Amino acid sequence: MIILAGCSSKSAVSTGDASGAGSGAGSGTGAGVVVEDGSGAGKGAGSGSGAGNTFAGPVLGDVFYDFDSSALSPEAQDQLKQNAVWFQRNSVPAVIVEGHCDERGTDEYNIALGERRAVAAKEYLVNLGVGNGRITAVSFGEERPFDPGHNEEAWAKNRRAHFLTK
Amino acid sequence: MKFRKILVAGISVLLWFQMLVPTILRAEDAVDTIDIRKQVSGRISIVLDNSMAKGGRESEWAKSLDATIKGGLDFTGLFNLMAPPLNIRNPQDGAINFGAIGSVGSDIYVTGSVSKKRGDPSLEMFVYDVTGKQLLNKIYSGPEKQLRPIGLQFCADLVELLTGKKSVFGSKVVFVSNRTGAKEIFMCDFDGQNIEQFSSTRSISLTPAVSSDGRYLAWTDYTSGRPDLYIKNLATRTTVAVRKTGVCIDPGWVPGRDELATTLSIDGDQEIYLLRVDGSVSRRLTKSRGIDVSPTFSPDGSRMAFVSTREGRPQIFIQDMNSGVARRLTFNGTYNTQPAWAPSGDKILYSSLQKNGEINIFTINADGSGLMQLTSGTRDNEYPSWSPDGSMIVFTSTRQGRRKMFVMNADGTNQRALVQMDGEQQQPSWSIIR
Repeated sequence: MIILAGCSSKSAVSTGDASGAGSGAGSGTGAGVVVEDGSGAGKGAGSGSGAGNTFAGPVLGDVFYDFDSSALSPEAQDQLKQNAVWFQRNSVPAVIVEGHCDERGTDEYNIALGERRAVAAKEYLVNLGVGNGRITAVSFGEERPFDPGHNEEAWAKNRRAHFLTK
Repeated sequence: MKFRKILVAGISVLLWFQMLVPTILRAEDAVDTIDIRKQVSGRISIVLDNSMAKGGRESEWAKSLDATIKGGLDFTGLFNLMAPPLNIRNPQDGAINFGAIGSVGSDIYVTGSVSKKRGDPSLEMFVYDVTGKQLLNKIYSGPEKQLRPIGLQFCADLVELLTGKKSVFGSKVVFVSNRTGAKEIFMCDFDGQNIEQFSSTRSISLTPAVSSDGRYLAWTDYTSGRPDLYIKNLATRTTVAVRKTGVCIDPGWVPGRDELATTLSIDGDQEIYLLRVDGSVSRRLTKSRGIDVSPTFSPDGSRMAFVSTREGRPQIFIQDMNSGVARRLTFNGTYNTQPAWAPSGDKILYSSLQKNGEINIFTINADGSGLMQLTSGTRDNEYPSWSPDGSMIVFTSTRQGRRKMFVMNADGTNQRALVQMDGEQQQPSWSIIR
């Protein structure tokens, strides 16, 4: 799997993602997949995405949530609108949206909450016209924090929906 | 009064006055004595003597068995264990001086002897009350490598004899640890000994739960990249996978039946479903907007406690399995999760994320009365699980930094660490495994 985006200042997406799903675009076995999946429409025209990112348009940014909530804030909705543009410009057939939680609260409940976050992001994109079958929601609960810290700054980064291509 | 004079000669007068209190409380009948003392101290006082043995091998066994028995009885938190007074035996004929047992404030005298039978250890145990009445005389034997189970079997018999209840001995704790770097399922004995790694998925394995008959283990793991449920028959070692769209998480067994409840999101929302051991869905149990998760059942299986966000924040509800009618159980606090129904049927344990940021463990009666806080001021205390006999609780705590397993008595007393093990531990489930 390849992490798609990495440069937005508020984004928790980076090559250091704790999910272990890949070390960013550019090298490794997944790099070929990225090239293969990249659409012909203006390669690299994105907003300064990481080296080797061949996707078009704005990056697929993370979406953030309040504590114990899967509601989409205005900022979250803005980010998803940008992400919808990415889906229009890139023909990647299968994208995973991971739902994550901060470490507070209980593990089992947070898997359910993480799913609600991922599904909320997915449904918003589907309402914007992204094909339902292109996005799969998977919850990781609090198992894969982006920031291992134990404070609100870390928690805010960890309460997220995060996008990955297969 | 003769024995008392001897005793006073050997120890200080002050100590003798302290011993007067239980002496005064002692009733005529041995059974009454135990009851009275439980009310006074919460513990039964036992004089535990070293086992007698002739021969080097036998003495080694006796030493090991004595340590097992002392450790086992101490672990329960039910007993005040005392060394035998110096005048416990008559120096002439070796007869037991029962008066000496009473005079140190004890109710019970436990002694044993170890011998070799056909090369194997044989432990004969004797239990007396203060009047000299024999309460137990049993012989425990087996191969040498079974010394620990031999000692623990006596502990189990003694607890049942003195409390009328089953004990923790022989039970296991199933839990999750990240010791290997991944999250895997482990098991250990009731007292944290004999840690074994159960899963090797190199993935994220979570929420292990053993069926009440000890034949099945269900858990969730991410081997496929998403949270699927697995149900393993521990005897045949066959496993079925429950893979559905969405989550398959947090199983809870129905006592006495080959059925378990788990949260699925096949219908969009996170709802609790009843499954058979072959992984097929029997029926849907909840139908409410929001999260429904963490099912736990009354001992007779007639009611299910679970977590629901149907009224906003996560709270614990109880649902009647026949009518399907649910009522809210918890009203104190805004984030109450992880219910565990007591084997006795009357109480439910849960954890609450409090305003001060701590997570603490509470018990509440199934009718909503009798709320009691069991932990406080020790950071996060979570995931409480009853011992199968209901006398103790295993839970996780971050009181010493990283998340580790702890145990306490059912009333919250006697809190201490369960295992010495690297990494973090989570989601302990106290079980009987066949």
